[in-house]
Amino acid sequence: MLNTPAKYFGLLVVCLLIPAGLVFMWLKGAGTRLAETQDAASEVAIASASEDAYCTPQLKQILRRVAGACGLLEGGARGCKPADAKNVAALSGDDFNALFKPLSHRAMLIQFDADQGILDQEGMTAVEKAWSDQRGASFFFVVSRASPDGNPEHNQTLSQDRAQAVLTHLETKFQDPEIKKEVGLLWLGEEFAQLSEDFCKWTRSRGTECTEKDINRSALVAWIDCAI
Amino acid sequence: MSDYPIIDDDRAPPPAPAAGPAGLTQKLAWVVAAASLLGAVFSALSTSDFINHLDRQVHSIHCSFIPGAHAELGESGCRTVMMSPYSSLFRESLWGGMPISLLALAVFSYLTFRAVSFALRGPLTKGESTFLLAAAALPLVMSVIYGFIAATRIHAVCKLCVGVYVTSTIAFVAALIAHLKTAPEETWDPERKQPGTWFGEGVVFVAVLALLYAVASPTSEKTLKGCGTLVRKDDVGGVFIPFGGKGNTQSIAVLDPLCPACRAFDQRLEASGLINRLKLDMVLFPLDSTCNWMVKESLHPGACAVSEAMLCDKDAAPQVLEYAFANQEALRDEASRDEAALRRRLEQKFPKVKGCLGSAAIKNKLNKSLRWAVANALPVLTPQLFVGDKRVCDEDTDLGLEFTLASMLREPSGKGRGKR
Repeated sequence: MLNTPAKYFGLLVVCLLIPAGLVFMWLKGAGTRLAETQDAASEVAIASASEDAYCTPQLKQILRRVAGACGLLEGGARGCKPADAKNVAALSGDDFNALFKPLSHRAMLIQFDADQGILDQEGMTAVEKAWSDQRGASFFFVVSRASPDGNPEHNQTLSQDRAQAVLTHLETKFQDPEIKKEVGLLWLGEEFAQLSEDFCKWTRSRGTECTEKDINRSALVAWIDCAI
Repeated sequence: MSDYPIIDDDRAPPPAPAAGPAGLTQKLAWVVAAASLLGAVFSALSTSDFINHLDRQVHSIHCSFIPGAHAELGESGCRTVMMSPYSSLFRESLWGGMPISLLALAVFSYLTFRAVSFALRGPLTKGESTFLLAAAALPLVMSVIYGFIAATRIHAVCKLCVGVYVTSTIAFVAALIAHLKTAPEETWDPERKQPGTWFGEGVVFVAVLALLYAVASPTSEKTLKGCGTLVRKDDVGGVFIPFGGKGNTQSIAVLDPLCPACRAFDQRLEASGLINRLKLDMVLFPLDSTCNWMVKESLHPGACAVSEAMLCDKDAAPQVLEYAFANQEALRDEASRDEAALRRRLEQKFPKVKGCLGSAAIKNKLNKSLRWAVANALPVLTPQLFVGDKRVCDEDTDLGLEFTLASMLREPSGKGRGKR
């Protein structure tokens, strides 16, 4: 029995050392693993602007040229003349329009009355809806046109008014200082990249009948999901 | 008098087990020893699980009434209890704190030793039975306290803890019966001062394990350095939501209102009391693909709608968040089936958000909240906490939250001292 000091202390040491040894062993194991552990955050995705599948290197190159020429990349108020668009894009009108075809699910065609640069109620609502669907996109393009009626100079001014009407409405509605850094205006008048009647099938601000002339009295608005 | 306490010159070891009540007290001492040993096993498993997490990774943990049964990785009452602020002491001084189960292990180990040493010597004296009863009362009292906390505060049952509660009760009941059966005439000799020595031995058990833990618990400099800094901590888009706190240290929590980890984080932060030393703002980062393009599929469906509601009425945002935290599962389920129904429910519950929820303006605002995360290149996860402009490492937002926060608040420049 427990009748000697040795036995007594032996029992005490066993009862104390077993848990102490286990605790020490567990702590050492945790310490070793901790030292070996890599930064957990390094395996987690990092928040970034979106980059959609249609953002091919070729498309991004053209978008960058257009955006740069139009001042988007400098972050100020902007606007491109039709000649600029033709020069920097170095594309035919059809090829230029083809750039925007992958955006059909994101774009909205804001329609205007003939010879008018004022947004109607449907147009305002459509612009707001398109704007609120930014998601991860960095740039909001407004590409306005005019139908071939009238002289080219007047139509150039008219399409500029239409693009400006969209920007003004966004600024009035959202009063967001960031807008100027995100919205790029491109007015094409009647000279370049006229839309075919096929674009009548895209989402439009008006549900009315649509001809080729109607669809060119418009501003195409869309967020571009490319990190340019 | 001898240096060691038990050798009993006056009372020779009995030649054979005594019959009658005296023999019964010896047997009951063995019962106390066995129950204490089992309690030590439960406590050891719980301590082992706790210590495993000191490497800051996610581990499976034991959660069974059968000691040594297979460990589980998923959610369990044991995990909930372990991650609660009640699972350890000194959480601001040690990363994770010192687990209560470690102290239980020390007490049960000592109780085992004490009961075995008594039992080996034969029938108990009154002094021995009194001491054994007092010693066995400690784990029982702690079991009652922690059982109450588990039921009323944590709302979770930890099977290992229940094992400890049961073994504590058995040990105490056996000690009580032994005490009642011990002959009154066998009184202990106060001149021997053995209870004081026995108590001292118990203190040694606790002190040795506690000191060993404090000295040998693993350290990491990363905790104080943090895991990155904010590039743009200004609130250009007006997306910060005041989250509470009365302190001066500007801090930002990045949260998803339907994320269970965020709810647990909020509870830990609240329970720690350290929120009062922060001036905390919240940035919403819903992990819901409805509005967040950075997640391929919605981890928390409905989080965008709830976030919109919070941004619609910032004054009521804490109430919206509280409601969302309290009903996370139901809200996520509803949004999975019909997000419009969730939006209607939010409008009903918080009438002020009506007309704002789902509007272009508020979607734009929520987008700005997400883009704040982009501007700061944050990891796509929640919760995240920034103290000043320093990001608290993700692995420090659970068990190590109090230690990390307290250290960062002590040394905002990141030159803190102490463990980890």
